[in-house]
Amino acid sequence: MAFTNTNRPTRRLPLDPSLIVVALLLAAVVAVGFALSDRFGTTRNFMNVLEQAAALGFASLGQALVVIVGGIDLSIGAVVTASTVFMAGVVDLHPALMIPMIFGTLLFGAAIGFLNGFAIIKTGVHPLIVTLGTASILNGTVLIYTLQPTGGVPFWFEEFAYGRLGVIPISGLVMLLCFAVVWFLLRYSKTGRAFYAVGGSPEAARLNGIQSNRIILMAYSAGGFFAALSGTYFVSRTGVGDPRIGDPMTLASITPVILGGLVLGGGKGNILGVLLGVFLISLISNLLNYMNVSTFIQWVIQGLIIIFAVSIYVQKCKKL
Amino acid sequence: MRTKLTKLALGAALALAPALAAAEGYKGLPRTFLWNPNFNAVVDTSEYAGDGPFTIGFSNASQGDGWLGTFYHSVQYGVSQNIDKIKRFIVTDANGDPTKQISDIQDLLEQDIDLLLVNPATADALDPMLGRTMRRGVPVVTVARRVESDTSFVSFVTASDTALARMSATWMAETLGGEGRVVLLPGLAGASPAEMRLQAAKEVFSQFPGIEIVDTQYTSWSPANGRQIMAAIIQREGAENIDGVWADSGLQGSGSVEAFIGAGVTGADIPPHTGGDLNGMYQLAHENGFPFAGIDYTPSIGEAAVNLSVDVLEGTPVPQRLDVNFQVVISPGHETRSISADVMLPNYVAMDRPGELIMGSGIPDYNPNTFSVDLPN
Repeated sequence: MAFTNTNRPTRRLPLDPSLIVVALLLAAVVAVGFALSDRFGTTRNFMNVLEQAAALGFASLGQALVVIVGGIDLSIGAVVTASTVFMAGVVDLHPALMIPMIFGTLLFGAAIGFLNGFAIIKTGVHPLIVTLGTASILNGTVLIYTLQPTGGVPFWFEEFAYGRLGVIPISGLVMLLCFAVVWFLLRYSKTGRAFYAVGGSPEAARLNGIQSNRIILMAYSAGGFFAALSGTYFVSRTGVGDPRIGDPMTLASITPVILGGLVLGGGKGNILGVLLGVFLISLISNLLNYMNVSTFIQWVIQGLIIIFAVSIYVQKCKKL
Repeated sequence: MRTKLTKLALGAALALAPALAAAEGYKGLPRTFLWNPNFNAVVDTSEYAGDGPFTIGFSNASQGDGWLGTFYHSVQYGVSQNIDKIKRFIVTDANGDPTKQISDIQDLLEQDIDLLLVNPATADALDPMLGRTMRRGVPVVTVARRVESDTSFVSFVTASDTALARMSATWMAETLGGEGRVVLLPGLAGASPAEMRLQAAKEVFSQFPGIEIVDTQYTSWSPANGRQIMAAIIQREGAENIDGVWADSGLQGSGSVEAFIGAGVTGADIPPHTGGDLNGMYQLAHENGFPFAGIDYTPSIGEAAVNLSVDVLEGTPVPQRLDVNFQVVISPGHETRSISADVMLPNYVAMDRPGELIMGSGIPDYNPNTFSVDLPN
């Protein structure tokens, strides 16, 4: 990836109003948690949340990259599912292939993403339709292969999902690392800034010498890659390939993207906002479990927070 | 944990007693226990014994359909019956998502529960997490669905998917005299109860060469889906060319009957149907008089699981697998060579109760809309 000679960022990302809004909401949830339960504010609980957030974090990171270039990927959940079944199915038959299959699965995800991007560029059909079609093909193929959870992985592979480095969960650490690398590249590399340029106006980007198609292909490939990483985490966490495990992930991956202030339509937003959005969603779910309230109330609260966060964000933007 | 195998030990029979209390019709030991060719281990739970009152965490898979809603009520009813022994009852709901359920269980463990009661969203995906819970010293009781490893739980409470499907499929095949074209309407694709029942039914039908499976369509246990799918099959095949409909539950079975009525086939002309659970299905069978066999996957397993959980925490030995009775309900004059009725349909159907009522809850005067019990905290 090409880097510019100057390290000057094109925007003041840390001051994005979306970051402030989502950070304040996060602080509010933590404060409520401390007030309501003496067990909520423990290091062990926060580390659990970091571990639990990993799958959503990977998927949302992939979705965010696609959204930044002006697209949307409705096949994220299907890629998650297909990755789990692919990995667990193959490794069950050939346990020695565990490590190669980690790379194979990530490559598989990236390849599906690449095909999404390729189809969008070549056909000109809206990404919504293309990725929905891909999701349908993948889900159907997986269900033809198996209707029930299948396959298996060696016991040691559980360590990716459940293992700790000291007190810090390995999966959470990998997620933070992924966000850090992507944030750095988006902010400081020429290619990263091209993502925003293509999302803002593909035509203007093209006139400025940016190869828009190449950027779109990269974004969708990255989306598929991170969806497969999310699937890899699920295999580690459940020990099987589940033909339905990714179903909720498609819409779930969009929520932190919106909460984080990324503009659906592309060109704007800070990836760190997405990370905070992931933590916010995970902490709400965690806190409501401590409050012993039903999942249905969790949905209501999650919906209210999204509307609240986005409306404040929009108003702040008008003032700026 | 020390477990010992015994040949149908007296201890197991005693531990089954709570499950029998709710039974109507057949009141003997569960047939799935009597006829199980394998031995049932009795688990020594003395290492979990405490003084109480106890904190129980319940990780529920979902309340996504009528059966699951009634099952949850049965769990709550069980807790209310043990309110002097349970000081906290913490509930999480995974909305059918096994990965959320794993996180839910982690959150429950952080709240110092004495025992984890779990209805796994899928049979396999919870295995690593439940194994970790057991290794942490917190006993696990699974209900409705078990996980693969025996070391991942103390006891599994069930009403046997395979048994109910084998019995209903055998009834269908024998009712048709071993000859005929049958439509299979299983539940939710990929859900382990649906897949186990379907596999068991196919085992039976495969032993009758004259039975032709016309179509197999998943219905997600939805009456609306059952009706829509069967209407399409009737359109394609012609109602007169369908000799029987095997549904693993009356949830979709009732939709199928309504599709036949919608196609102008009424009364005793409706082909034989199977499927229990839903009072509306029993009502349709009773009103129309077609051959019918209903076997509930009894939601009272919820109450039985709570009773067994308290036993574990009091150090009482429990069976590793607790089968809860179910009733075989058959329309008058339609018993077959292998399948006899425990209760005849007119004695079982609740004509004065709502059609959406799920049968077999074990809760006195149960009404899902007004159900309310006192719970701890």
